[in-house]
Amino acid sequence: MEVTIKNEGEKTYVTLNGRLDTTNADQFQTDIQPLMTMPKPDIDIDCTDMSYTSSQGLRIFLSLQKSVLARGGKMVMLHMNPQVKEVFDITGFSNIIAIR
Amino acid sequence: MHCEMILDEYRERLPLYRKIREVVLGQLQQTLKENGMVVTGIEGRVKTEKSLSGKLELKGTKYRTIDDITDIVGVRIITFFSDEVDKIAALVEKLFDIDWDNSVDKRKMLEIDRFGYMSLHYICRIPAALYSDAEHPEMNQIRFEVQMRTALQHVWANMQHDTGYKSEVEIPIEHQRSLNRLAGILELADEQFSRIRKEINDYRRNVQSLVASGNFDEVPLDGDTFRSYCELRPFQRLAEKIATINQAELYEDSPMPYYKILLRLNMKTIGDVERMRAECSEGAYQLALIQLAGTGLDIVAYSVALQNLCIVKILKMGYGTAGLIHMFEAIYGESDYNATRAERIYQQAVRSNLITTNP
Repeated sequence: MEVTIKNEGEKTYVTLNGRLDTTNADQFQTDIQPLMTMPKPDIDIDCTDMSYTSSQGLRIFLSLQKSVLARGGKMVMLHMNPQVKEVFDITGFSNIIAIR
Repeated sequence: MHCEMILDEYRERLPLYRKIREVVLGQLQQTLKENGMVVTGIEGRVKTEKSLSGKLELKGTKYRTIDDITDIVGVRIITFFSDEVDKIAALVEKLFDIDWDNSVDKRKMLEIDRFGYMSLHYICRIPAALYSDAEHPEMNQIRFEVQMRTALQHVWANMQHDTGYKSEVEIPIEHQRSLNRLAGILELADEQFSRIRKEINDYRRNVQSLVASGNFDEVPLDGDTFRSYCELRPFQRLAEKIATINQAELYEDSPMPYYKILLRLNMKTIGDVERMRAECSEGAYQLALIQLAGTGLDIVAYSVALQNLCIVKILKMGYGTAGLIHMFEAIYGESDYNATRAERIYQQAVRSNLITTNP
């Protein structure tokens, strides 16, 4: 899983590329650490090139969203492919995480 | 000369007044929070030297010492509803020592045919048991004022303050009359707000008891009743059964987003939701089984139970993929993906024999 984080003004753009599963969930958690501390973040996560997420990935997105909201910020996941979206749908997470 | 002495004392005590204001505001905010009271606003001020000087000019002879002036520190609590003023007053009485001789309930001072300023004013002291400062024992002796009134009373008082009261120019009688007429309307509005709130609360209590007693067919389906119903955890068993498919963690979330789907399915009572639960639970589980088994996904949201119940209900009612697209649009908004998802679920439902007909 390749993670790119880019700050432009008040906005933060995150781009995900590849599979997010047990083999790289810890690394992913480390990669997104900077997002866990910034004050009032406004984060767009581009999932165009994310091919899969496991439940570890769901948990990380959930904890990231909780942390962002607790700091008065917002986060949205964008352009999920149907395979990734299905994971969110069948677990009920489409209602929990902001997806566009 | 006399007034100058009072002003000198005021300047000397100013830091103490500010401290009292801070302590009083802090204590009030804490006690309101502890008692679950939500108010429109709580504000405090220390009278400015200019304002005090003006007061002394007007009524200087009335005050022998600065301690006779009881509103140098003033705090105001503004409530939403008129019946909350008395509840707040009870909390203030518990918190501070009240100087009853100088406290006034202006709500009771008006004649039956008069309308005007309605507010409850308490003159208080901070009891040493609540707060004390060894260097400034006088903090427990200095009196301050707590005003309690509703938001509408507050609006009227501010308007009147700006236009009449304390004004150097007396306003013409017709304007005074207009202001008083407005006070009557606002008093009526305050009363109506309290009455409506009471009726809504009575309705909610009644519905909650009907829900709790299981008389679901007598309970109309609305946002409030559905929330009360959800508190009974009606989808818990199904959600747990779905979670066992992958020995998954059940993540607690709200089923409320599906309330609008229930309305679109023409459900009128909580009894209709109960019937859907009874008729569609097995199908909802079968759908989850075909979707989740083998995926290794070991976390599911509680609301997935109701999501699947709605999907199965839509399919059983013969609405097919169009019905599913309609449901997804209502929850997630329009997107091309809704059709893809609807078609996939439809095929899954056919495979698990939930439906046998074509879309």
